[in-house]
Amino acid sequence: MDKYECTACGYIYDPAAGDPDNGIPPGTSFDDLPDTWVCPECGVPKDLFVKVEG
Amino acid sequence: MNAVIVGGGLAGTIAARTLRELRPDLRIAILGEERHPYYPRPNLIEYLAGRVPREKVFAFPEGWAARQGIEARLGAPAVRIVPGRRTVETAGGGAAPYDVLLLATGARASRPPVPGIDKKGVFVLRTLDDADELLARLGEGRRAVVLGGGLLGLEIARAVRQRGAEVEVVEIFDRLLPRQLDGAAAAILKAQMERSGVAVRLGEKTEEVLGDGQARGLRFGSGATLAAEAVIVAAGIAPETALARQAGLGVGRGVIVDDRLRTSAPGVYAAGDVAEHAGRIYGIIPAAFEQARAAAHNMLGLDKPYGGTVPSNTLKVAGLHVTSVGEVHAAGPGLESLVRSDAAAGLYKKIVLREGRLVGAIWMGTAKGAAEIGRLTALKKDVERRKEELLEENFDFGEVP
Repeated sequence: MDKYECTACGYIYDPAAGDPDNGIPPGTSFDDLPDTWVCPECGVPKDLFVKVEG
Repeated sequence: MNAVIVGGGLAGTIAARTLRELRPDLRIAILGEERHPYYPRPNLIEYLAGRVPREKVFAFPEGWAARQGIEARLGAPAVRIVPGRRTVETAGGGAAPYDVLLLATGARASRPPVPGIDKKGVFVLRTLDDADELLARLGEGRRAVVLGGGLLGLEIARAVRQRGAEVEVVEIFDRLLPRQLDGAAAAILKAQMERSGVAVRLGEKTEEVLGDGQARGLRFGSGATLAAEAVIVAAGIAPETALARQAGLGVGRGVIVDDRLRTSAPGVYAAGDVAEHAGRIYGIIPAAFEQARAAAHNMLGLDKPYGGTVPSNTLKVAGLHVTSVGEVHAAGPGLESLVRSDAAAGLYKKIVLREGRLVGAIWMGTAKGAAEIGRLTALKKDVERRKEELLEENFDFGEVP
């Protein structure tokens, strides 16, 4: 599963790790994150993330 | 080696972070005009609306820069760049020598040339200080008017409304989001704004900001007036190029950079809202991010070309997904447009064809099929045979080769 990076702060969402502090279990793909999910580091919405190449 | 970054916004911060990742031993200094540590600007809307507390506006925990070994000089705006001596001078008499320099001074909010636009009580929303000042004003008076019916204007209006203010949006064009929408789609959006308690005034040119010293309202071309304690201007941005000009760098509308984000001065790079690449100033976050990443690499001699950013065609406003791509205003010979609309549901889909090929589309009120219609339009697909079906609720885009 692809990793995604926050373009506002550089945080990387890793599906293998999920975001358990915010109720996202490990193994959740980026696409499956709810629309209401925001960057746990800087708070911007999902649409400001880009796929990490390579 | 010394890397100096002028500007502590997104481009400056991402560049600093990238430089640190690439070179643990590099000396990095950020000269920030604002007194605050870095925050992403979209968070200002959330703060203004009261959805996010002030301390959550910031991107990083306190002390982040220091732990990264980044010297963040806040409230220390650069006042002069001396390329010949490879030095930046800061307000208060400080100086920062550099081997490589990144100009990430961003943009400021434009104010249209309207008499009285510089009065007290006329606000913009570009910085955290702007947001604080506006909130303080709204604590005294409850009526606000937003000049500009583009995306930022609409977001500000909704945020201010959520704070309990009475708010009206004034747009000089005859519709909201004039660049993205046609008249029918914009009418649906207007109804949506009105349902959320925001008044909308269209096709009205502002002639004057009323009030003695303190803004009290607006007077329009039609002669009508509108009383307000806060006038908020959302009329676009202008790159902050003063330092670059004064240093003799090549400047067009922005600071001109090449495919390595190099300016015309040796060792000086630019990225973000201030940069003009291939004739374009983007003013969008993904472009600032890509430019900052590429600039950081090139500053260290690691070749990383930047070939431009493809802007997203999709935005969300007033709770509606809006996708707008290609020739959405197209009218005239050789063009055909098909529309499917359900105003009550906030739904509007339009495609524009030229000789059967898809050259423009508006997809509003649904995310379903939005990415696909954007892709087909970019490819100018021939959809003549299936044009009617394309607008249907359950059309399977997988069937279009």
